[in-house]
Amino acid sequence: MSAIYHGDDRVPIPPSDAQQFSTVCSYCIVGCGYKVYKWPLGKEGGALPHQNALQVDYTKQQPEQSGTWISPAMHNVITERNGRRFNVVVLPDKDCIVNKGNHSVRGGTHGDVLYASDRPTADRLTHPQLYRGGGQFPTTWDEAIELGARVIKASLDKWGPDTIAMKFFDHGGGGGGFENNWAVGKFFFTGIGTKMASIHNRPAYNSEVFASGDAGIAPLPSAYLDAELADTIMLIGANSYETQSIYFLEHILPNLGGATIDQKQRLIPGETHASGKLIVVDPRRTATVAVAEAHAGKENVLHLQINNGTDIALLNALSRLIYEQRWADQNFITQRTNNFPAFQQVFQSQSLDEAIRLTGISKAQMMTAAEWIAKPKADTARRRTLFLYEKGLIWGLKNYENVASAVDLALLTGNLGKPGTGCGRLGGHQEGYSRPAYPGQRPPVNVDEVAIKGGASKVFWVAGCNPVGGTLNAQSFRVALAQRTALVNQALGSTNGGSLDEKVSAIMNALDKGGLFLIVQDIYPIETAQYAHLVLPAAQWGEMNLTSINGERRLRLYQKFMDAPGIAEPDWKIMARMAHRLESAYRAEGKTEMAARFAGFAWNTDEEVFRAASAGVKGAQEDYGETTYAMLQALGTNGVQTPVQEIRNGVPMGTTRLYTDDKMFTFIPAPWPGFPRQIQTLIDDARYPFWVNNGRANHGWQTLYDDLRKPYVMGREPLPHVEIHPQDAGQLGITNGELVELFNPYGSVTAMAVIVDANAPGHVFMLFEHPKGWLNNLTTDYVDPATTIPYYKGTKAGIRRIGGLPGMNECLSFVPTNRA
Amino acid sequence: MSNVSRRNFLRLGACAISGACAVNALPAIGRAAESPDITTLRTTLPYPRIKLAAIGRLKAGVEHLTAYPDPASPVVLLKLGRPAIEGIGPDQDIVAFSRRCSHMGGALVFRAETGTFHCPLHYAMFDAQKDGLMVIGQATDNLPRIELELDATGDIYAVGVKGLLYGRQANVLA
Repeated sequence: MSAIYHGDDRVPIPPSDAQQFSTVCSYCIVGCGYKVYKWPLGKEGGALPHQNALQVDYTKQQPEQSGTWISPAMHNVITERNGRRFNVVVLPDKDCIVNKGNHSVRGGTHGDVLYASDRPTADRLTHPQLYRGGGQFPTTWDEAIELGARVIKASLDKWGPDTIAMKFFDHGGGGGGFENNWAVGKFFFTGIGTKMASIHNRPAYNSEVFASGDAGIAPLPSAYLDAELADTIMLIGANSYETQSIYFLEHILPNLGGATIDQKQRLIPGETHASGKLIVVDPRRTATVAVAEAHAGKENVLHLQINNGTDIALLNALSRLIYEQRWADQNFITQRTNNFPAFQQVFQSQSLDEAIRLTGISKAQMMTAAEWIAKPKADTARRRTLFLYEKGLIWGLKNYENVASAVDLALLTGNLGKPGTGCGRLGGHQEGYSRPAYPGQRPPVNVDEVAIKGGASKVFWVAGCNPVGGTLNAQSFRVALAQRTALVNQALGSTNGGSLDEKVSAIMNALDKGGLFLIVQDIYPIETAQYAHLVLPAAQWGEMNLTSINGERRLRLYQKFMDAPGIAEPDWKIMARMAHRLESAYRAEGKTEMAARFAGFAWNTDEEVFRAASAGVKGAQEDYGETTYAMLQALGTNGVQTPVQEIRNGVPMGTTRLYTDDKMFTFIPAPWPGFPRQIQTLIDDARYPFWVNNGRANHGWQTLYDDLRKPYVMGREPLPHVEIHPQDAGQLGITNGELVELFNPYGSVTAMAVIVDANAPGHVFMLFEHPKGWLNNLTTDYVDPATTIPYYKGTKAGIRRIGGLPGMNECLSFVPTNRA
Repeated sequence: MSNVSRRNFLRLGACAISGACAVNALPAIGRAAESPDITTLRTTLPYPRIKLAAIGRLKAGVEHLTAYPDPASPVVLLKLGRPAIEGIGPDQDIVAFSRRCSHMGGALVFRAETGTFHCPLHYAMFDAQKDGLMVIGQATDNLPRIELELDATGDIYAVGVKGLLYGRQANVLA
């Protein structure tokens, strides 16, 4: 009997009168447009075009790329709170200019994880839960909020705002959006006033691109159109086929294959155009490299397979080569930039030999890269180069200098503000950030170290993330969290049958002795929630209206199309509940100033929060001004690119790309800093011979919170995989599918071996986040002191074989994923 | 015929996070878990029984192009030359798959050296030895497999399809 997943062999037909909604994928930054069809269970449309909502003739085979095919993973049966059941189809929108009907494996399986009580999503959090009697048990919102508010208020009054720590989503897309982000920021920054705040994937409250901001460049300056117009695209630390799949397939790849030359000639007349070229900077030969080569020919793809942690040395070397060849954009440098001499001093102080030694990249390859980036075209026009970077650079050796060296290269070559150019992040999740200002300083405090492990905070509220495995040096974080939360468990255990007052008093006593009160707000019972005293159920994408932007600042309305499970609520409502309770408690004590800090949460609708949140994006790349839900609804899945310039006749007028004006930029000199102490110690220790790089895989999203509930995906990745070079595997006696242990002084993790030559010998690559094996047990506690961003992408470890798991490799494929 | 329903499969998947291994126990538990309230989706489509080829005509690694369950659905019958999941024949290496990519219907190309199907549209890849498992790509399901039977005279018949064929609402057209 096969153990390989296959879906149903039919899907129901949406009838002509099915309700229709407009939305956007909840997952990655690309933000593909989707249409949602909803109709009562038991009813179906007919097979002829006039009998169904998609106007498709189901008596015939549809052609390829029809844009109207419903796969079984796009369908589900849901139950509303009133008990009525509906078919729901979540179909990629062929009229959305982002995806044109295309979809990734992630977004295309959205239908599979809508809440359904007879499906794997049945374990969604439906009710608040309180720790009592040795476990977590359901309760009302009133009791949950009352207890939480009492503990928060008592801690705030006794020890001050920094005793309340938080680690929260700052996403667009699923669960986040401008609405939820605004309420979260208003609660913690205007209300509590804590500096012990951190963003879901890191130990502090910071931008991941401080250097770009300091240079004067917003994180997302370009349009996806620019990837169709560029002469060269440079991907730095990004595996876009697997992580921004539809941007890569629909906008980058066509350019590399020559399909956009006509468009280039039309939009950029007066210069010569050819197929685009691609440079990929990555220690690993990725699927992105393989697919690009297959599509565009090896001669148009340059893979710079650098040594881990040497991006700065490479990028500065390219700047030096370009400058020496006199390919720098002197007019741009003179008219649009400051601080060039300081940058010049840095790139000239690094010899080419030094760069070659550090990076492992040959002079010839560097020269080819320099030519593709900046050697003027035959007609002497400058090349248009689009620099796109993501986690490989952002989470590399030293966040600030890593990003700065990419920004400097873009400024040196004048690649901002013109069609086919730009320098920004590709992005992970979508963006929807709008919050009152964070009260802390730069560099921001390391919340993991100071507030949690160091004991500075007494209450820790976690939402939309899973830090027990997702944060750096996770094993030590987990130990601290377990020890401190256990003190509160013990205190609560001593108040069996006690009143709320007695409970709060026992909790406060435990907090005084080093305990930690943990609130976890999520959609699933995630691993971090196992330690929580209060678990709060949040609504998900599709269960509220929300707004977000994608990687080209495209703002859309994601319509609500179903109820949240049980009594789960949108995050903004949960924050408002807590704020109301604190406001009334302070008012009852006559503390009007404190009460006022928690006022202003009396929103009735998602849109009221959206409108309030516009205050937090004024002047930013996200600025949506006076835009309303009705305006966005009229614009559907194409929305409008922020910043919105004006509302003309009820229609928001957007911005295709930033910096078409005469804005000034600043070079940020960034010398290669060498390895930090923690990494150098591992390098010098023969017990940890392997460099451990890591990243995402095509089929999984973030912590796999939804994917764990997609049997199709879990069939592909039941355990986290680690790619090991055949030479190393041979020496260690490891074969495909066997379990191995990776270990270093920070922790250990088990993973499933995949033998492939994608990485150089001595280098392995492991999936970043998987609840069956947290890579972050191995990452060190090092962060860039300038930004408090970790070096997630580099650690070292030893590897030992554990052994085979029966049935494992029979059901999995070990064909390399990086061959196209 | 197939047919452990997808619903039951999913029900099992929910408790069996170790996925690929645990689902080996699928058939027995699947039947036990059957639930009458979700029958709307369970189908027993009227699949035809169609002879695809005589076993003696298949050569290892060489594609036999045909169609199933009707001429508008191209499929490929293969003798892989090594045992495959759900493989039939004396060597358990004969399998058949849809030739339309389960992502957006691209015409798949088979490469004998790796035993994989490749889509030229968006570079999905499926493993023929592993029941059409997607190696990488953007499809929302593994490659639909044609269910085969071998009769006493050595003729290979197609009798059903596991998974939905691209471009159809039901594998057997109305």
